[in-house]
Amino acid sequence: MATVIARTTLPPIELPAPSPLDDGDLLGIRIGTPIRIPLLAKLGLSTQTGVIWLGTWGVLSTFFFVAGVGVLALAAFQQMNGNLLLAIKYFANIQIAPPEGLGLAPSLQEGGYWQINLTFWALSVLCWAGRCYERLTRYQWRPFLLFAWLAAILLTSTIWVFRPLAMGSWAEAPALGLNSDLDWAQNFSVLWGNLYYDPWHMLAIFFLFGSTMLWGMHGATILATASEGSHMEDAEIKDMHSGSHKSMLFWRWTMGFNANPKTIHDWLWWFSVGTVLSSALGIITTGTVVKDWYVWGVDHGWVSQYGEITRSAINQSSQKPLVGLNRPEEPGVTTPQGGF
Amino acid sequence: MLSFEGVYRKRGGTFLADFLGDDPLDFWVGRFYVGLFGVISVGAAVLGTLIIILSIALIGDGDLVRVTIGAPLRQYGLGFAPFLQGGNWEWIVIFATVAFVAWALREVEICRKLNMGYHVPIMFSFAISAFVVLQIIRPLLLGCWCEGFDIGFTGHLTWVSNTGFRYMNFYLNPFHAYGILGFFLTAMVLAMHGSAILGTYNTNADPNVETANVDNFWRDYVGYSIGELGIHVLGFWLAIYTLIMSDLCILTSGPFVQDWVDFWHFHIPWFH
Repeated sequence: MATVIARTTLPPIELPAPSPLDDGDLLGIRIGTPIRIPLLAKLGLSTQTGVIWLGTWGVLSTFFFVAGVGVLALAAFQQMNGNLLLAIKYFANIQIAPPEGLGLAPSLQEGGYWQINLTFWALSVLCWAGRCYERLTRYQWRPFLLFAWLAAILLTSTIWVFRPLAMGSWAEAPALGLNSDLDWAQNFSVLWGNLYYDPWHMLAIFFLFGSTMLWGMHGATILATASEGSHMEDAEIKDMHSGSHKSMLFWRWTMGFNANPKTIHDWLWWFSVGTVLSSALGIITTGTVVKDWYVWGVDHGWVSQYGEITRSAINQSSQKPLVGLNRPEEPGVTTPQGGF
Repeated sequence: MLSFEGVYRKRGGTFLADFLGDDPLDFWVGRFYVGLFGVISVGAAVLGTLIIILSIALIGDGDLVRVTIGAPLRQYGLGFAPFLQGGNWEWIVIFATVAFVAWALREVEICRKLNMGYHVPIMFSFAISAFVVLQIIRPLLLGCWCEGFDIGFTGHLTWVSNTGFRYMNFYLNPFHAYGILGFFLTAMVLAMHGSAILGTYNTNADPNVETANVDNFWRDYVGYSIGELGIHVLGFWLAIYTLIMSDLCILTSGPFVQDWVDFWHFHIPWFH
């Protein structure tokens, strides 16, 4: 590896060739001056930063993003009575909560800020998808990156939009904030009977850990053979050399199976996208189709039963939204329902 | 055999060859390289699997999803337990650790045969560290093998769930949070890298043009392209970062911190 990264001179600044595909956009300019950071070469990273494409989609996406963060900051300051010191001190604890029900929030403080922020978020990520599509078209990539980004949007909108719609209350979605995010994850699992027994969650964790494992395997394999050029993957897919040969033989001799410079990227892409797709399925089924994953697991022979199960309590709890737990308990109400 | 494989299949350069002058285990079986460490690793794996099969047979209900080979009972401390009260678990952990370490050494030998860097066995060692921290180091620090995780399909999920609640709220464990950050980041960067290669390979363009398209795309899109080598450097270190955080996450819970909610109730004097 050292032979690859030890360069005496930095590579020249690279700029994209002029293309008619750049012309159709009113804001279609590249801004900034390319800067080279020699230190990055020591790490094996590319030294050139910039330039960046502005573009109408990019401007819109950035505008909505900044507006969303602005609304969030405004709401946080209002909660802290405009006290900057308090806002810093309670930075992790500040939460912008969603309203109850599916309508417009009664006031800014009772969910209005949350709704405005989520609207800006949706516009921002969708405009970014437009930017992704437009730049992919410019460089004539196959649209893998766009579909990966749309899969990521699908997961986040399942958590913040689709599942709350299915459950009938925005309060099912996480509040915006650092600790509220963690608390939502914890409470969500507890309220719906332990998410570890959700088979889609199991699959998502499998793909997530598998993604890290595949990055470890692929990154390590390429770094180990980079002195023979295996990192130049587009060229290696066309015409393999000793670096790729060794990468393939290493795994063939180690575990009896090997990918090649092209198919390893199929594995990478599908493990990553598989993570978000199975996560989305795990979220959307929780509380809508399955009320209690532990009881579901016991009923379907996945989980050992540890003690008694009170099914009426499960059915009752499934009718409650996640936030607003200060309502009085109603122990006498039993409405037996299906749904397991 | 792959078309180019014959050039690379050469004897020599192994641990046994260095010390004995000749290595009787320096051969291939089908696709697999054998070697001294292959024999050790597969031998240990077979013994561990036999113990699992024996345990399932003795437990007797044949339920492969719910069967759990539990860690030893608390009363046995750091000693050996009777077979069905955790002795089987102890032997499985021993054989698994031997198999993993021998497998890493086998990877080192294959790296030496192919004259490539040791990055993969180093990465695998970090993965082994997660298992060793969970099953050996943390139980040693807490003075009881009962602190290891139970072996079983849904059994180990139950253990993870219980362990999280035992320290009140695992989401407030900062190393857990940094570890999850690492897992999510690897998944995201993985999709970006996979998309870049799958999106651009084997177009009609010259490979150099394809690569330039990747660099120029990322500069247009986010202002920086990390480069063909750089993306693998990033992936490598992200995976190692994630594994180190996972180690710290479980190692601190119990030996050093009892309550991750209470952990945050510290007082910063200059903040008032």
